[in-house]
Amino acid sequence: MRTYELQDVSTPNLIEEIFPYSLPPLIKFEGKIHELIDGKVVEFDPNEVKTRDIHITDTTFRDGQQARPPYKKEHMVKLYEMLSKLGGPNGVIRQSEFFLYTKNDRETIDACRALNLRYPEITGWIRANKGDFRLVKEMGLKETGMLTSSSDYHIFYKQNQTRKEAMQQYLEVVEAAFEAGVRPRCHLEDITRADLAGFVFPFVQQLERLSEQVPENMKVKIRLCDTMGFGLAYPNVAEPRSIPKLIWRLRHECGIPPERLEWHGHNDFHKVHINAASSWIYGLNALNGTLFGFGERTGNPPIEGAIIEYVSLKGDLNGVNLAMMTEMAEYYEKVIGTQLPANYPFVGKDFNTTRAGIHAGGLRKFEQIYNIFDTTKLLNRPPRVAITDKSGTDGVALWVNEFLGLKGDDRLSVMKVAKIQRWVMDQYEKEGRMSSITDQELEEQVKIHLPEYYNKYRKN
Amino acid sequence: MTREEVAARVINVTAREFGMKPSEIKESDQFTTDLGADSLKSIELVAAYEEEFGISVKEEEALKVQTVGGAIDFFFHLLK
Repeated sequence: MRTYELQDVSTPNLIEEIFPYSLPPLIKFEGKIHELIDGKVVEFDPNEVKTRDIHITDTTFRDGQQARPPYKKEHMVKLYEMLSKLGGPNGVIRQSEFFLYTKNDRETIDACRALNLRYPEITGWIRANKGDFRLVKEMGLKETGMLTSSSDYHIFYKQNQTRKEAMQQYLEVVEAAFEAGVRPRCHLEDITRADLAGFVFPFVQQLERLSEQVPENMKVKIRLCDTMGFGLAYPNVAEPRSIPKLIWRLRHECGIPPERLEWHGHNDFHKVHINAASSWIYGLNALNGTLFGFGERTGNPPIEGAIIEYVSLKGDLNGVNLAMMTEMAEYYEKVIGTQLPANYPFVGKDFNTTRAGIHAGGLRKFEQIYNIFDTTKLLNRPPRVAITDKSGTDGVALWVNEFLGLKGDDRLSVMKVAKIQRWVMDQYEKEGRMSSITDQELEEQVKIHLPEYYNKYRKN
Repeated sequence: MTREEVAARVINVTAREFGMKPSEIKESDQFTTDLGADSLKSIELVAAYEEEFGISVKEEEALKVQTVGGAIDFFFHLLK
């Protein structure tokens, strides 16, 4: 047993090397991760992510669009432009994939390309069908994803093929891509439910043999599609669900470098973000996600989560503009008409809104107590308080000071807002109210009880 | 302002806030246990004292005061 003695310090230890507040909290590793593969211990160095070119790829307009009413062309063009700003000039959001099948799909790509943005690069998505290459070629795309299902669930029961027939078809399409000068990205659908040794690895090794004939920038990329969300990031999980084993074998047994490996997850078991982030840690570079996690059924890795994870792992913004997340959420709500859940991390209406009076008190005294990072500076979202019978006079003071834009010694005390708090409590105790007080109602109370401040700070 | 003048005004304000007569208020009265003030009432009381004397006080210090006599001393020292 180890004895820990109380260290009664005179200044607080805010552990700022991990919680800098000016950035999202940093992720620091203190050693290697060990995984048992074929009875032998293999090591992963999680600190590799600091130097590896990890990045995000986007499938908002492909998988993301399969789960919701179609976006209008102007929505997609605007979101594409916003994705570019969010990911910044260094291409943290590196690519975005588009359908190619309809006239609207193709016109959208043309409109996005007309913006002349370096990132995200536009790529396509097609079925593993040689005929579909005509579309890729016509659009002049340099890279396209192609559906290459890898589990027997798909090969036997969806495609009515044998493994040999499926592999042959996929390889022919890859060869066609090479001939067309298009880089193929094989989407190994349902890989976490596939016979890895019996199909996936032989197929990938065949792809590598084909890639020997093309230059580095044309070699096949491999997207690991956790189609049903079965993947697990825990150490020493059995295959095929193990993410670390899958990535390790693809890198070390099949020879695929991290820059040609990509993770594409689904959220069927609430693991979508941690699985995607763990795939970065376990050694691949590209994390495929969608804005706000929209995607088939339960959705894909949310790009907002991925970009915060990126900053936390790298310890640097590297040009990303996190405040775009706020603008994008507003665009979804006000223009596209899609309301995000209020408690949705980083962008939901209430993600940094507190309701409990004791939390409001803490927030009022020292913002960092109840705010995850400097959301005002990074997301343009100051921490807020929702006023109910539980938020207390501290909550009202916080709301009023934020509403009036008062800071430091200019902030009003709880005494100055006591009449507003009395009105709030009367709403619940005398009027039997059950809902939160709205911002508009509070503004009216400020006009009534603090007219001199309202006139000075808010009028006009 | 003498302590007696401050005391008279504090007691008047306290009586008004709790709906009592000034003669019913004693300097030894505790705001919470004797007069029944909850946290909001305590804040309203300090706000009423501020209005009475035309000053602003630091909330942490003001809200530490427990008794009517304590409030009289607090404002007497502030107004000296």
